[in-house]
Amino acid sequence: MDAATLVDYAKSLDCVHCGLCLQSCPTYRLTGRESSSPRGRVHLMRSVAEGEAPADADFAEEMEFCLLCRGCESVCPSGVQFGRMMETTRGALSEAVERPLVEQLSRSFGFATVLPSRAWLSFLAGLGRFAQQLGLPQLAGQLLGERGAALASMPTIPPANERALLPEHSPAEGPVTGEVAVLEGCVMPELFGRVNRATVRCLTAAGREVHCSRGATCCGSLHAHNGELDLARRLTRETVEAHEALEARVGTELPLVVNSAGCAAHLVAADHLFEHDADFAPRARAFARKVVDFSASLDGPALERLAARLSGGPARRVAWDDPCHLCHGQGVRDEPRRLIDLLPSVERVPLEDSEACCGSAGIYSVLRPDTAAQVFAPKREAFERSGADCLVTANPGCQLQWDAGLRRAGVTAPVLHIAELVAERLPDAPRSDGA
Amino acid sequence: MHHACAAELRAILGADGLVEDRSRRTAYECDGLAFERRLPDLVLLPRDTPEAAACMRVLRRHGVPVVPRGAGTGLTGGATPVAGGVVIGTARMRRVLELNVTDRFARVESGLVNADLTRACAPHGLFYAPDPSSQRACTIGGNVANNAGGPHCFRYGNTTRHVLGLVVVTHDGEVLDLSEPDLDPLGYDLVGLLVGSEGMFGLVTEVTLRLTPSPQRVETLLAIFPSLDAACDAVSDVIAQRLEPSALEILDKLTIEAVEASVFAAGYPASAEAVLLIEVEGSDVEVEVNANEIEAILAGRGALELRRAQTEAERARLWAARKGAYGAMGRVAPDLYVTDVVVPRTKLRDLVHRTTEICRERGLKIANVFHAGDGNLHPNISYDRRDADELARVLDAGTRIMEVCIAAGGTLSGEHGIGLEKQQQMRLYFSPEDLAAMELPRHVFDPEGRMNPGKTLPIRACMETRTKPLDEVTR
Ligand SMILES: Cc1cc2nc3c(=O)[nH]c(=O)nc-3n(C[C@H](O)[C@H](O)[C@H](O)COP(=O)(O)OP(=O)(O)OC[C@H]3O[C@@H](n4cnc5c(N)ncnc54)[C@H](O)[C@@H]3O)c2cc1C
Ligand code: SF4
Ligand code: SF4
Repeated sequence: MDAATLVDYAKSLDCVHCGLCLQSCPTYRLTGRESSSPRGRVHLMRSVAEGEAPADADFAEEMEFCLLCRGCESVCPSGVQFGRMMETTRGALSEAVERPLVEQLSRSFGFATVLPSRAWLSFLAGLGRFAQQLGLPQLAGQLLGERGAALASMPTIPPANERALLPEHSPAEGPVTGEVAVLEGCVMPELFGRVNRATVRCLTAAGREVHCSRGATCCGSLHAHNGELDLARRLTRETVEAHEALEARVGTELPLVVNSAGCAAHLVAADHLFEHDADFAPRARAFARKVVDFSASLDGPALERLAARLSGGPARRVAWDDPCHLCHGQGVRDEPRRLIDLLPSVERVPLEDSEACCGSAGIYSVLRPDTAAQVFAPKREAFERSGADCLVTANPGCQLQWDAGLRRAGVTAPVLHIAELVAERLPDAPRSDGA
Repeated sequence: MHHACAAELRAILGADGLVEDRSRRTAYECDGLAFERRLPDLVLLPRDTPEAAACMRVLRRHGVPVVPRGAGTGLTGGATPVAGGVVIGTARMRRVLELNVTDRFARVESGLVNADLTRACAPHGLFYAPDPSSQRACTIGGNVANNAGGPHCFRYGNTTRHVLGLVVVTHDGEVLDLSEPDLDPLGYDLVGLLVGSEGMFGLVTEVTLRLTPSPQRVETLLAIFPSLDAACDAVSDVIAQRLEPSALEILDKLTIEAVEASVFAAGYPASAEAVLLIEVEGSDVEVEVNANEIEAILAGRGALELRRAQTEAERARLWAARKGAYGAMGRVAPDLYVTDVVVPRTKLRDLVHRTTEICRERGLKIANVFHAGDGNLHPNISYDRRDADELARVLDAGTRIMEVCIAAGGTLSGEHGIGLEKQQQMRLYFSPEDLAAMELPRHVFDPEGRMNPGKTLPIRACMETRTKPLDEVTR
């Protein structure tokens, strides 16, 4: 492997080795091994770049073991850009590492074929739904033992009517407080159509005219995370272009409201992918500035309007779990809490270590289910200690991870997206947990 | 590493308790003193005292050197395996074994992170007083080994004042239990001897610590000064007036700039030449009287602005910024050399001047952030370890600073220990007789010279394990 392209050497020099990041790292806390800590990983990268350590399989394994939760960035006084360094390294590794053929094929099928295509996504969702109705995953679980366990714990795919796409335009309820676009996402409509609809419901209730572009499917965030940088670039570019086209059609600039923290964290930094593309970089930069998280998009008059429309809804004691890519990735911490605290019949209780990763980490929980479950364990314990009867978060991966993790432990508390929690307090809303 | 030895250790710890491969071991080649590196042959991560003791017995049989390691936040190379051998890390030993709220002590494993102890006892109205700026990461074991201090140690004293008992695994794997929480032990006070022994007397596995009741009220004052001199003088005055704040910290302009550019920005004014951060605690009356008197002194010394933290959150932010100062200096250069010297508090101003001059003369960039109340200076010198010439100048400045401080009646180290960094400079302070005497207890605890060899005491030719003194390692 070529050490020069494997590591962003200049960025690795930002680390002064103070160690303040150690405890924020889930993989260090799990193993107690410093090579699995942020400082350790940066040190390994630097050593590789300086030719003092080999770029071997052990090195690659430590890099892939990282959850890329970016918890380390939030505590690093030196401003080490860990996430970006890791994306570079994974990018180079994914080109260099020889993976087993099956893994190679399934990776490329997933990343290059399925995620970018609405047709494939909905076809597979339909197929999955069919299989689940027949009870095939449970059967596979029994037949295949450990390997099949992942299948059995797959998220339940909702029926076709819940998987319908968002309308291209949803009018504001009452006087208009602003015009926005929403990102529909790739897996969101297939697994979390209800969250997308709740998002639009809240926005329109807050007086937003809501537009939705059909021009792009996946934003490329999962790809960038997993070292598929070329594909990530292509998909991010398509997302930017689709947004520009939408703005041209509507005839005005539009903030892009994103309800998935992982996608938003990727898109607010979209310009970094195009550092070496002088033509496109300014467009990506202009786009990145418009990307805004759902809860952060609701402020001022819009928030007041929304608050005035809220009433009733099921009484809940909720614990808010900060998605990593919301708090660490976007620095959004107060806005979701502010929103929750506005809600009638909702009491928010503190959740210990709410900024620690739940182990979902994009597709990490699929690639490394055992580690993901170990990372999740303290989260579940904290939830049980909190006394809450409902867990609220704002990222599809986290929602799945929490849902599966709580169910495995026999905890029945619902897991909601913050938009769902809000929307169930709007007139004529159904309960979010279907109860 | 000897094959048979590794196999025996694997049988004790399981595969995930060893770090064997070349790549991963790299993470253990240094602590915060990153220009001095050496790869350990093996890293062990025991889970409790019996596992650690079993490992030590194996290592003794094979004659392998042992270096204890907590979180590797030390700044003097204490946890760097300069003589090779095995690093024993305590990162998987971090349980609170007993929290006795009534008798106000905690028994913990040595790998527990300092801040986690305070977090565990906070609900009971107690806290663990020593609060090194690295407290979010450093371990109790590392604190004990270095007799760590921190901003609030001005009032409460360094680690040694808070250790009631220890469990130590000695070089041959014997478990020495000194954990009776007894204020006046029979016989020698071995606990006192072990605190500050920098990993040379054995591996500390459990520690019994005194917990302190949280004060009724805490007031955090911030004074902004037009010069570093004025801030130093204000501190000397506060001390001379016999006022008792719990912490007195100075941050200079460069430090403030770095911190304010970081995630820990707390609203320190970037225009200030120096900021004095003071904490006063106690009963309502005590705090009010103390704070008022201190504020009068600060104003008298020309403070441009006086503030009090209005909320608990603001107070926490001010401290987080202070404690992130070291890391924030990473914005200035890739490496930071933190000198740790103590000077008489009446001479603060002069010595801060002298240290600054020493660095300027050598073309070095210096920032000052220090425990002013204790007279504990930390001239922070930014550098790039890849530049051999600059590194040589840094080390030279470091030595010169120590000489000047000792000449003024100060000492070599306030809290970071000696480790590799100040080994040779021990001679500046101690006579050959003193040093020979210090070797005696070391010999008692470690007759074979296998415990953290090559550290702290300057090595004489005959028992040399490390061949080069620091200033020759400027590669
Ligand atoms: C940002 C920053 C701020 C700091 N601020 C302060 C401060 O305010 N005050 C202060 O005093 N120090 C400070 N330090 C220095 C350092 O954090 C302390 O010396 C701390 O006590 C080291 O703890 P550690 O767990 O990281 O130990 P390590 O660095 O791993 O080890 C330090 C020494 O202790 C020995 N050791 C570790 N564990 C054991 C054990 N279980 N048994 C026997 N020996 C052991 C090691 O062999 C080594 O000699 C700071 C460091 C940094 C990076
Ligand atoms: S906190 Fe930042 S500077 Fe400090 S060790 Fe971690 S990555 Fe390096
Ligand atoms: S991104 Fe998360 S898992 Fe990776 S090093 Fe940082 S804190 Fe650890």
